[in-house]
Amino acid sequence: MTDFKQIENNLKKEAKKLLESAEVPVVLAYTRGYDEKHPMPFAAKSVADVEKIVFNEYCNFNMARYIMRFPDAAKIAIAAKAADSRALVVLIQEEKVRREDLVILGIPASGMKDPKTDQLIDSRTTGGLYNPVEYDILLGEEIRGQKTVSPYAVLADYEAMDKEARWAFWKGQLDKCIRCYACRKACPMCYCDPCFIDQNKPRWADKAPQSPGNMMYHLTRFHHLAGRCIDCGECSRACPVGIPLYLFHKKVAKECEEMFGQAAGMKLEDKPVLVDFRVEDSDQILK
Amino acid sequence: MLKKISIKKINDLAAALMEKGTLLAPVKEAAGHNFAEIKDPQQLDLDYYNTIVSPKTVFLPQKEDFVRYETAKPVAEAQPVALNIKATFLFGVRPCDAKSFQIMDIHFHASGIIDPYWQQRRDATVIFGSAFDLDIPAQDADFYQTLGIGAADPEGSDVFMVKKGEDLLMKAITPQGEEILARLAMLGEGKPADKKYFEEYIKKGSQHQTRNMCLDPQVIAKKLEDIFHSGEFWQAQSAACLSCGICTFVCPTCYCFDICDDTLFSRGVRRRVWDACMFTDFTLEASGHNPRTHVYQRLRQKVCHKYSFHVRKYGVISCVGCGRCTRYCPVNIDIYSIIQDAMKA
Repeated sequence: MTDFKQIENNLKKEAKKLLESAEVPVVLAYTRGYDEKHPMPFAAKSVADVEKIVFNEYCNFNMARYIMRFPDAAKIAIAAKAADSRALVVLIQEEKVRREDLVILGIPASGMKDPKTDQLIDSRTTGGLYNPVEYDILLGEEIRGQKTVSPYAVLADYEAMDKEARWAFWKGQLDKCIRCYACRKACPMCYCDPCFIDQNKPRWADKAPQSPGNMMYHLTRFHHLAGRCIDCGECSRACPVGIPLYLFHKKVAKECEEMFGQAAGMKLEDKPVLVDFRVEDSDQILK
Repeated sequence: MLKKISIKKINDLAAALMEKGTLLAPVKEAAGHNFAEIKDPQQLDLDYYNTIVSPKTVFLPQKEDFVRYETAKPVAEAQPVALNIKATFLFGVRPCDAKSFQIMDIHFHASGIIDPYWQQRRDATVIFGSAFDLDIPAQDADFYQTLGIGAADPEGSDVFMVKKGEDLLMKAITPQGEEILARLAMLGEGKPADKKYFEEYIKKGSQHQTRNMCLDPQVIAKKLEDIFHSGEFWQAQSAACLSCGICTFVCPTCYCFDICDDTLFSRGVRRRVWDACMFTDFTLEASGHNPRTHVYQRLRQKVCHKYSFHVRKYGVISCVGCGRCTRYCPVNIDIYSIIQDAMKA
């Protein structure tokens, strides 16, 4: 595995080349935050900005989140880890960005950590992939031979619960929500403007952080992400009250994969499952 | 008046306070501590750094019901929701948060327009402030020293508490504090050595290192006015900002709210709910016009409100350096760094 420092150097080198040649006006990467453990998403716009780029085990933000912030840029370069690249694939499929307008700087990485808990970010809370699925330039050696655990293995306890227990579980979890909306804002797939929950006419839910409104917000969001969530885990890491949102997304992703034989954002040529119709599609959902 | 109690007997103290009113203290939840009502004396826990959400929730709950109504009935028949104020003990407030109540009082009381919901709760509450443990370094995000607040600063508390070995020293700071300490029979008298320890601890607290810069409120207020129109500065500072509401919701001095009518099948409640200047619809006008459509405008508003407009209007910075906004920001935006950069800009 290429170490983080080497990836940082490669990232700087490629960013410099791209900005120097004016091939792109923006390189989406990471910079140092208030300390090393707290890096920040960063838009490098000049060669001078390149020196500010960093990469370390805490750079776990999904950079695809920022791709639509530069409507004037003809082309954007973006540092993309496995999950970021899957998010880009979905955004390309959904025609939010064109593949030819992106320079994807792929980052193969394992050993990313959550700065809040210092725990390893792995298949328990994310898709658990190490290599980007789509890239133009790979900034390190592809990671091979690492032990892989199914991203759905973590669902075992959840799936052992019956319907009532699951309802009680989610009600308990979602009652904690303070409606700061960090989950949707950190999500690369949540780009609706306005989000249904912000609409005034009609108002879909109470603004107050309590059961019916919280359920309405989260259950709707969960379903809006069906077949689209690429399991980066950013929603759960962003949550200040520790709601394990990834569990619901994983469960839906698993069902999608079982029904339609396809995981979100894995291949550019795939059609999103909820857009694609095939005669042989599962009709389990109609039972 | 200085009293003390063995930390082993802290649950007796909790039981006594529960007899006299509602006891609110930091309670451990999945992601960390938060202020909540203590239902069982055994729940009282002194082993926390600070809470996720600030204790402003006690006086300004995220949801406050004002009036219940039925849309088919005349307005005069709408029923105001009773406040049901009870004597409350807010236990274990950190010095920066105790200070925040004084800043919030400006808006809910001292500005002349008294908010009865805030004020009645405030009047009914005794604040038991608690010093940070000086043996533990301050968390990286904190910068209360910059705002002139010590790690063991009794200002803003009615009773202030300091740990001394196996004991908890409790000193009355206000007449309200004197009164409650006098009514707690299980407390022992503080000895002269305890008094000395307490005073020294407070002094030592002001030296406890957090991030610190020399910050004159008038200077930073002016500086932010000067760079208000520098789109470049604010766009760079907000490049990572997701425009979520975490920073404002966990903040002890953010007080913006929305009044909503939540109606379901012709029955409804008019209530106050926290709002946040970081939300897209915060400034959305009835015409459909929105004066703040960009993320940088919203982040600029938050920073300038606290460090510039508030200083101009009330003479003080509306921030206590508790570090929550930085600690919980999903993309590590740090208001301290923004202020530092603004000073250099």
